[in-house]
Amino acid sequence: MSFKFAIHNKADNVGVAVEDIKAGELVAGVYLEDRSVGPTVKALEDIPLGHKIALRDIEQGEAAIKYGRPIGRATRRIRAGEHVHVHNVVSMRWNFGRR
Amino acid sequence: MRTFKGYIREDGRVGIRNHVVAIPVDDLSNTAVLGVAKLVRSVVPIPHPYGRLQFGRDLQLLFHILAGTGSNPNVAAAVVVGIDDSWSNKIADMIARTGKPVEAISIEGRGDLRAIEIASRKAARMVQEASERQRTEVDVSALTASIKCGESDTTSGLASNPALGVAVDRLVDMGATVMFGETSELTGAEDIVASRIPDPDLREKFHKIYREYVSVIESEGAEMLGSQPTEGNIKGGISTIEEKALGNIQKLGTKPITCVLDYLDPLPPGKGRLCFVNTSSAAAEFITLVAAKGSVLHFFTTGQGNVVGHPIVPVIKITANPKTAAAMSEHIDVDVSDLLSLKIGVAEAGERILDYAFKAMNGRLTAAEVLQHDEFSPIRLHISA
Repeated sequence: MSFKFAIHNKADNVGVAVEDIKAGELVAGVYLEDRSVGPTVKALEDIPLGHKIALRDIEQGEAAIKYGRPIGRATRRIRAGEHVHVHNVVSMRWNFGRR
Repeated sequence: MRTFKGYIREDGRVGIRNHVVAIPVDDLSNTAVLGVAKLVRSVVPIPHPYGRLQFGRDLQLLFHILAGTGSNPNVAAAVVVGIDDSWSNKIADMIARTGKPVEAISIEGRGDLRAIEIASRKAARMVQEASERQRTEVDVSALTASIKCGESDTTSGLASNPALGVAVDRLVDMGATVMFGETSELTGAEDIVASRIPDPDLREKFHKIYREYVSVIESEGAEMLGSQPTEGNIKGGISTIEEKALGNIQKLGTKPITCVLDYLDPLPPGKGRLCFVNTSSAAAEFITLVAAKGSVLHFFTTGQGNVVGHPIVPVIKITANPKTAAAMSEHIDVDVSDLLSLKIGVAEAGERILDYAFKAMNGRLTAAEVLQHDEFSPIRLHISA
């Protein structure tokens, strides 16, 4: 199976779609650092090119990890294969009392 | 070592373009410089909305930007037009320190039409003289360049920025100077940038600049989604400022950061450097400031398709987003979308950017130049008096 998303760092819990992914698709990832085969995930919804897919369940309040670093906090439970974006993740730095 | 054919200026710095510019000191003088550009072939007018009742550091920064633009090695000669004598002469005197031809003309007591005539006569002579300047082969260590990304998406952090990072490393190794900045857009990765500044005093200077900049943003307490990240960033899949910053710094390569410049600090002479410059993260404001500090070539990675240019500095547009490369092809100079699909490696993509840069340095016009993207946006630091 050819890969449809890339993972910056082995510690990441999100991958980035490098092609448009359709809901229900079983998609494979590739690790950027050594180009080794990453996890395979069933997409629960459409994930457009450039958008993030959860590689495993992320609990509410847990950090989304990309580049091996926290990029935000989950505002609700995110299941593996879900689209990870502004509707379920907020900045931990510039989120001035919003959520 | 690699070489390019540039214009060696009177002060020894090297440009890659040979413009004659008409610089207004203030908004009132835009009409006159546009008049000069209508009458005299190839004069580049640089209109802007500022210059009246500014004071303090804000005024100093405007002078730094206007005089720096006229002093840039891509400029052969300059006419400065202002409403009054005093500030016009001041900016012309700052440009004259480079040794290049410069003339100041004021409008008060004379009127637009007479000022346009005087400025046009001087500009016409400057254009003829500039047309005799020849390109000379110089080492790439004479290059001062700058880097910034805009309308970024996750393809920037995945592919176009790491590829640019390879090109930056190669340029610094060959002795060139590369400036980066985007102070606010380092939020979430500022510790990584700081850790790459070996000198403790410079590291502390960087921390202070970063804290001051971000404290203004934080003190507003405003909704940031749509501003940082921008609507375009969000459409492209970037969710937070931290994610944007971590993608942003992929273009910095791996070299130590050996100079840290605040708004008003001039770029000191030197070679083989990666320099942080305190700047806005807005594309045109960024390029306007680093051009005033002497950048003659700007590398701009984009995901969703920013179209920015500059009146005198060629901007090389690079994308790894295949949709943007197809839909906005007239704006894209270097397409590295095959890196996104891992058909090529990051080193190869970096070389592709570098090869294009040498073409631009030798005279090839970039997409932003032929599409007449001449954005010039001085940064304001505070209100007018």
